[in-house]
Amino acid sequence: MIDRIQIKNIDLTLVAFLLLNSILGVIVIYSCSHYLPGNYHLKQIFWIVISFSVLILFISIDYKFLMAYSFYFYLIFIALLVWILLFGKLVAGTRSWIKFPFFQIQPSELMKVAVILLLARIFAEYRKEHVIWSNFFSCCFLVAVPVFLICLQPDLGTAVTYIPILLASFVLAGLNRKIFIFLLIFALLFGIGGWTFGLKDYQKKRLTTLIFPSHDPLGAGYHIQQSKIAIGSGGFLGKGYKKGTQSQLRFLPARHTDFIFSVIGEEFGFIGVVIFLSCYLLLLSRLFLSVKESRDRAGIYIIFLAAMMITSQFLINILMILGLLPIVGIPLPLLSYGGSSLLTTYLSVSLVLNVKMRRFVNV
Amino acid sequence: MKNNNIYEELSLIQGRALKIHIAVVVLFVLLILIFWKIQILDYKKYFKLSESNRTRQVILPHPRGLIKDRNDVILADNKASFKASIIRENCKNLDESYQKISRLLNLEKEVLIERIKKYESLPLFQPIVVKDNLSFEDVSRIESRKLEMPELVLQLEPKRSYPFGRFAAHVLGYLQELSPEDIKSSLYSKRRLGELIGKAGIEKQYDSSLVGTDGQVIEIVDSLGRRKGEIERKEYIQGKNLKLTLDFALQKKAEDLLEGKEGAVVVLDVKTGEILALASYPDFDPNKFINRFTPEEWLDLINRPEFPLENRVIRGLYAPGSIFKLTIAIASLDSGSINERTSYYCSGKTRIYGHPFACWFKGGHGAVSLYNGIKNSCNIYFYQLGRKLGIEEIHRYAKELGFGTKTRVDLPGEKEGLVPNPQWKQKVRNAPWYPGETISISIGQGPLLVTPLQIAYHTALIANKGTMISPHLLKSNEIHSGREGKRGSMAKKHSINIKRSVFEKVIKGMWKVVNEGGTGRAAKIYGYDICGKTGSTQIVSVETAEKMKEKNQEIKTHSWFTGFGPKDDPKVVVTVLVEYGGMGGATSAPLARDLFDLYRKRYD
Repeated sequence: MIDRIQIKNIDLTLVAFLLLNSILGVIVIYSCSHYLPGNYHLKQIFWIVISFSVLILFISIDYKFLMAYSFYFYLIFIALLVWILLFGKLVAGTRSWIKFPFFQIQPSELMKVAVILLLARIFAEYRKEHVIWSNFFSCCFLVAVPVFLICLQPDLGTAVTYIPILLASFVLAGLNRKIFIFLLIFALLFGIGGWTFGLKDYQKKRLTTLIFPSHDPLGAGYHIQQSKIAIGSGGFLGKGYKKGTQSQLRFLPARHTDFIFSVIGEEFGFIGVVIFLSCYLLLLSRLFLSVKESRDRAGIYIIFLAAMMITSQFLINILMILGLLPIVGIPLPLLSYGGSSLLTTYLSVSLVLNVKMRRFVNV
Repeated sequence: MKNNNIYEELSLIQGRALKIHIAVVVLFVLLILIFWKIQILDYKKYFKLSESNRTRQVILPHPRGLIKDRNDVILADNKASFKASIIRENCKNLDESYQKISRLLNLEKEVLIERIKKYESLPLFQPIVVKDNLSFEDVSRIESRKLEMPELVLQLEPKRSYPFGRFAAHVLGYLQELSPEDIKSSLYSKRRLGELIGKAGIEKQYDSSLVGTDGQVIEIVDSLGRRKGEIERKEYIQGKNLKLTLDFALQKKAEDLLEGKEGAVVVLDVKTGEILALASYPDFDPNKFINRFTPEEWLDLINRPEFPLENRVIRGLYAPGSIFKLTIAIASLDSGSINERTSYYCSGKTRIYGHPFACWFKGGHGAVSLYNGIKNSCNIYFYQLGRKLGIEEIHRYAKELGFGTKTRVDLPGEKEGLVPNPQWKQKVRNAPWYPGETISISIGQGPLLVTPLQIAYHTALIANKGTMISPHLLKSNEIHSGREGKRGSMAKKHSINIKRSVFEKVIKGMWKVVNEGGTGRAAKIYGYDICGKTGSTQIVSVETAEKMKEKNQEIKTHSWFTGFGPKDDPKVVVTVLVEYGGMGGATSAPLARDLFDLYRKRYD
């Protein structure tokens, strides 16, 4: 399945960037959770080891093979999502976890990898310059099914992260003006409809506080406010590792998960933010530039969708902690604590490695 | 390579992807500008906000669930108590503060510093408990110095208390403070440092039900530690209440009877497996654990030679002595190696495999049938049965009848005892099995080891004529009340694979033990058909015992009695063990009688 030339063609720089960002994550997780029971940093290291092993396993399987079976993966994960809705345990108000003796996993995260493969497969033989309607609707439908199931859990944050993946596939396949206008109108209608029927009260409140953050400083605006205070009070050099008062005194919510970048801002300052952002951009650019090295259409789709998945989550998370987007639970890929998100990110990077290392083989 | 026509022309979509890449890079630059604005331009504003942003987390400790007996007598309660904690962050001068606090609370300064050292790793703003169970004087002294000493705070907390002191201590168990090592384990991840957790008994077994959830208040405080408001408040949730199967009166009686002796008592409901009384003596006062021992008190408790912390009912291992003759009788009848008319002659001593073996009754019992063999506990009779059975059969039946395996009672730390066989001996002692050992085993001596609870379970098996029950202490958990019912019905379905008629014959023998002047006659109650069996186990080896007997030295033996009643519709099992109590019939049987008597008065 794997030969010497392929091993030689593994993009070690990309692997190095991936690990670099993972380790930076562990360092920050330790800072904001060392005083809590639970050893989050050790668990994160454990997950990195697991994810890395899975990555190695995954690149040994040809992506064409994975793509050929993508529809089955997709169905399996749909079945899993339905199963946890029916039989899953309620953890923190949602049914999104499958529990194992020593860990738990969110199928809603891993589903993204299946969706990437599936979209790549659909567009693999697509030679038109623009998306046509039939294709547009079938893709929308295929993504809408898991999104709907995840909304029912309810886990709005994870559901939202599917939309950039879908849009990215259309952007690559080419959007003509008609479909673009249709998307705009649809988004508008959906927004109004969702506001009146779909959103829960606390979610509405989050949206209003986005526009008026000081409206309710001890309520829903509180988290945004505290996050901004953390970042702003970090200043140029930061307060120092493990010395951030906002995070150590627990003003920040979800310090080691969704709000981890606020801790970075507070403890490492502007300098630290620039360094962390640069490290991340190195990884993302490496992913995007890999597009040039694929010799088939499917490969390009896989690389681009994987890159867009990580990029969009990263941007949404950063804009959220800066108070520029409403708070939805989206972790920062690689940096936030959490096994499922980490594993999903590693899997998508492994797909990119997979395409790149086989670029001279698949004719 | 560009025009190589092996490859598809992909520059269109590659170009689109790269355009998006450029957009992402631009976005990152924008992000850096936003951070620049917040972190550099607005730095002063946010820094001030973060400085005035100080909180204090105040825990509202939850009370543990109550533990009650079967008639709702509260055995483990909670009472309010004050404790003093120090917040290091608020100390202007640590050393001076320690000095002042040690004077104020009458604590030695070294003790105080040592205690704070233990929790050094906690963040500075978290209070560390330095003294609890404060007296009213302490409370008022601290309260009056509230302003000048912001580092010392008072907290009210509900505290476990056992209103009856030592009562049922071995069932209830005790609590101990969660140590910094414990808290790293995932079992206690939701617990607080300094919180008390169940370390033995029911308190440990059902710890997760008994604990509730602490409430908490996050207060905003100014730089002097003065309260400015609340960010968040969560009320505590009390743990679930547990109802035990214990009967207060029977338990009390059992403990009174054991007072001053070393031993164990179990009273078991034959039909349901509910434990009505479970006493082990010497005992301890679980209240002592709550109020933090002095190191001397603790060392004394764990180092006393009679081990007051050990629950003898489930952890004491003893030879069953003559009680094991019931197992031999059942095995012999069931395997067909004898019938109830088989008899042997007892002259007081005999030789088997070339070794002399004696009966406990020097004069000999004469011709002994099965019923009289049980009634008079004739050793010679059972030597013969054991010899005929062989060790493998004895081993198999003993296992079937509840020995050598845990009864799976709902108490932590139960021991499984030991039923030896040749493989065991080869493995553990690396020596072959001698036929003579089988003879010792036939009267319950040798390496055979059982717990008093196993004896009670074994007796219930006989009383039920082979139907199994599972001994348990939890009557119901007020939230999941269905549990006990499930347990009872599940247990009822299983029966061991021995004929009912075998049990009936053995029961007839056991009836004679008590009612026809047998070894257990001291347990007899007029009008109540008790069936029982006594046992006296030699603590020294058989050979030494023989020699001591010849020299007319007194041999101290453990004294057993186990029995059930009434004969025709068995309801209750009573098992008594008194260490160094002498003959079973003399010491333990009268105690059992008193318990049967009380049971009859309460339940008939």
